[in-house]
Amino acid sequence: MATTTAAVTLTSDLLSDNISVSASSTLMKADTTADGLDMVDYGVIDIVTGDQFDLLDADNPSSSPIAGVMANKANKVYIANHATDETYYVTIMIDAQNVGRLYAGDWMFIPWGAEDANADIEITASTGTNKIEYALFHQGRTLDAS
Amino acid sequence: MATTCSVTISSDIAPGLGTISKSMTLTKAGTINDLEETTGFSRRKLAATTAVDLITMANELVDPSDNTAAKVYVRNIGDGKGTIDKSQYVTISIGDTGGTPQEIGRLYGGDWLLMPLTVVNDKDVVAAPSTDNTVVLEYIMFFE
Repeated sequence: MATTTAAVTLTSDLLSDNISVSASSTLMKADTTADGLDMVDYGVIDIVTGDQFDLLDADNPSSSPIAGVMANKANKVYIANHATDETYYVTIMIDAQNVGRLYAGDWMFIPWGAEDANADIEITASTGTNKIEYALFHQGRTLDAS
Repeated sequence: MATTCSVTISSDIAPGLGTISKSMTLTKAGTINDLEETTGFSRRKLAATTAVDLITMANELVDPSDNTAAKVYVRNIGDGKGTIDKSQYVTISIGDTGGTPQEIGRLYGGDWLLMPLTVVNDKDVVAAPSTDNTVVLEYIMFFE
């Protein structure tokens, strides 16, 4: 079985007592306890200001380097903004709904439902060029016939 | 007053993939100043498939309430008594339970997420379990 683990450590001193949370999860295929996610698409790309781009396209292989992910599964997505100017950020949207901003140095890790053809993960840079690292862990996708 | 989050993703899917590792300090929008507010660490038990607000933005009195650098962490810890069912999931969405929240994805037993939020009113963090079986979520939000 392919084994992929995602671990997070979160610490904060905002409260009277410090918070320290750690969690680790083995990424499994949907609805199973015996079979791990066994496919990955990974890339690093510069996002420039101006247009909104499909970073991960839910159904259209021709418009994105990664596409056709099986819907409603246990896909996981990691995105990091490697820009270094703290004023730079990218806006992350799904199906045109604003999720939030990834400022320089920020990362996110989410499950991705890819529940229909419109559920693309979209990205827009605010200013400058933002170097974006992304990884999609999944259990299969439809290839674009040549 | 700092909050830091580190992620490490290790995989043997491909020999050359290696390990993804990154740490971030949660800062206010466009600055290097630390985020200062939090909901505190919370736990919520759900036992029905009904979608509920895990975090209701209007109740958090977030100011400014538009597109700040907020982050949320959510983890599905199973039934809260040590049993984690990897086949049971909670669908996490952003929006208003009275409307049609935008699905983010399915958080299976033991899975976690960490993501930015707009913290705009009605862009709530919504959770909908896949079954009526008891499932417990741990969560915390940091904001300006």
